[in-house]
Amino acid sequence: MVDPLFGIAKLDGELGGFPTHKSVIFSASPAVGNEAFGYQIVANNEKDNKILIFLNRTSPPAYFKEMEEFHFPVSKNIFVLDAYSNLTGIESSGSANVIVIKNPNDKEEILRTLGAELEKGYTLVLFDSFSLVVDTFGFDYAISIIAMLREKINKSETAAALLFTDWGYGENERAGLMNLTDAEVVIRGIEKRVIFGQYFGVIKCKWLPGKSFTSTLFKVVKPGGIKIAIPKILVTGPTDAGKSSFIHSASKNAVSVDKLGGTIALDHGSVDFKGYLADLFGTPGQERFDPLLKLLGGDSIGVVLVVDCTKPEQFPRAIEMLRKTETFGLPIVIAANKADLPGALSIDDIKNRLHLNNDVPITATVAEDLSRIDPNQPTKLKKSGVDEVLSTLFRLVIEEDLFK
Amino acid sequence: MVSIPSGSESFDKLTGGLSPLKTYLLNGNRESGKEELAYRLSAANLKEGRAVVYITVNKGSSELLNDFLAHGLNISQHLGQSFKIIDDFSRTISPESSDNQYTKVVNGPVDLTGLSVAMSSMNNDFVKDGKSVINVLDSLSTLLLYNNTITMFRFLQFVCGRAKTSGVTSLFLLNSDMHANDVTESIKSLMDGVINVKLEDGKRFFTISGSAKEVLSWSPL
Repeated sequence: MVDPLFGIAKLDGELGGFPTHKSVIFSASPAVGNEAFGYQIVANNEKDNKILIFLNRTSPPAYFKEMEEFHFPVSKNIFVLDAYSNLTGIESSGSANVIVIKNPNDKEEILRTLGAELEKGYTLVLFDSFSLVVDTFGFDYAISIIAMLREKINKSETAAALLFTDWGYGENERAGLMNLTDAEVVIRGIEKRVIFGQYFGVIKCKWLPGKSFTSTLFKVVKPGGIKIAIPKILVTGPTDAGKSSFIHSASKNAVSVDKLGGTIALDHGSVDFKGYLADLFGTPGQERFDPLLKLLGGDSIGVVLVVDCTKPEQFPRAIEMLRKTETFGLPIVIAANKADLPGALSIDDIKNRLHLNNDVPITATVAEDLSRIDPNQPTKLKKSGVDEVLSTLFRLVIEEDLFK
Repeated sequence: MVSIPSGSESFDKLTGGLSPLKTYLLNGNRESGKEELAYRLSAANLKEGRAVVYITVNKGSSELLNDFLAHGLNISQHLGQSFKIIDDFSRTISPESSDNQYTKVVNGPVDLTGLSVAMSSMNNDFVKDGKSVINVLDSLSTLLLYNNTITMFRFLQFVCGRAKTSGVTSLFLLNSDMHANDVTESIKSLMDGVINVKLEDGKRFFTISGSAKEVLSWSPL
């Protein structure tokens, strides 16, 4: 046996792997789910550990099919306690690795069979799903299962992971359950009109008292499983509004793919701002590059829409670009650029003409020094305006507890 | 805000259509015509450019599409574009059923987490595309067979809340003769509006409450 790992670098790094004798509960919002964490843990340990999956969410064939879609191996070290098939009447697999609960509604049979299995030298146990145990049999029974599990793993070289969907249970009942586990990892979506990102973070770890942890954005990809995501901010707007200027002014390492001053592919820059790291991706403004917009908009968690205050005739194009990037519903800040030039519209005029929701913030941005503008280089914008756009956008993004 | 057509001329004439962004219960017994109304509503809204996520719990996606056709509704041009299906049935008879271009197959009625994640994800895609979205869940009754009532309330509370945040209009079908009155009443309390349908003497009738324009006495559908 090799000590188990979560198979998720960030968790293994923070928690020092998945120690034996410990139980970890993964508590997820119903909008994002947690099953991928289970697949990842199983896949990462199947080679060197004997694994038992308590499965009441789906059938063993469906579970293994899902693992195959992730390109995760299904080996003879994986055993399933099938508490699902006989609920639906599906014939459970006759495989020696599948132990079938005859009546999944019989809590005594489950307790008895699980207790017997836990004596068989498994080094990793996964409950998928533990919230379904709560839903079916109530908190008292779920607590008795955890108590038995703790007793068994304390006297054997076993670690246990429990997948739990947080359906809005009573606070006291939930806390009672969580307190019985050694660590709790929360999995949440950054939920506004759309769910524009998901993150996990350790909120409790009894074997590392006093240690503080950070949240991490992640994505679930097939094949591959859980991958840590780098936040992406999209900077879009019509031609010559000042997108490249904004990105070059906000980042220290910005690059543009351009030709004679107009961006023809994309701008990219990394922002290190008040302790937050983000990647800025700028779209080209010309309509002939519109097929790229959706591609560039994908996976963004926030948008800076740059408009030229002196060119209201471009505003419909600005809205069209937002639509084409498919970023409606994400936090948006308008950078009202060239706000100090003659003919620039007021912030209120811009707001009215863009027809966006009233709560979309607009910040004026202006060039640092109008006398030093090189038409072939992005114009440097004043730091104050750029900083205000970034801090407003990050505040909108992190409102949802992301960086707490 | 533009109202949501039901696909039934008489219904829309009396009610002006459904209010968008609301959650509705479509309640009636087995032969009342709930599914036909749900199909007609889906087809009418697809025609008007809205997106529909149809969650089928009683039949697979191909059977669902055949049912649309059997009702004279051809929605094939919208498949994978504005019309997507969450198939919460097929894996209960064939565990290895898999997704296609317009169908996401989920694990079956017990896995409410899988269902809610799939709904959030599909709605997300349509909302990001700037589309107005309608969810049809057909039906709550099957979910209630596999899950206890409290679990279902928690699920519905979450799904209805999420739909409101996302700006999605939702229609939940319920087979009224399968459940105790207190269960039906509790589910009604989670909804903005309730549409009742019934079959009588070979004709279909409806009432609607909780909408902008209520119809409280049985009227021909």
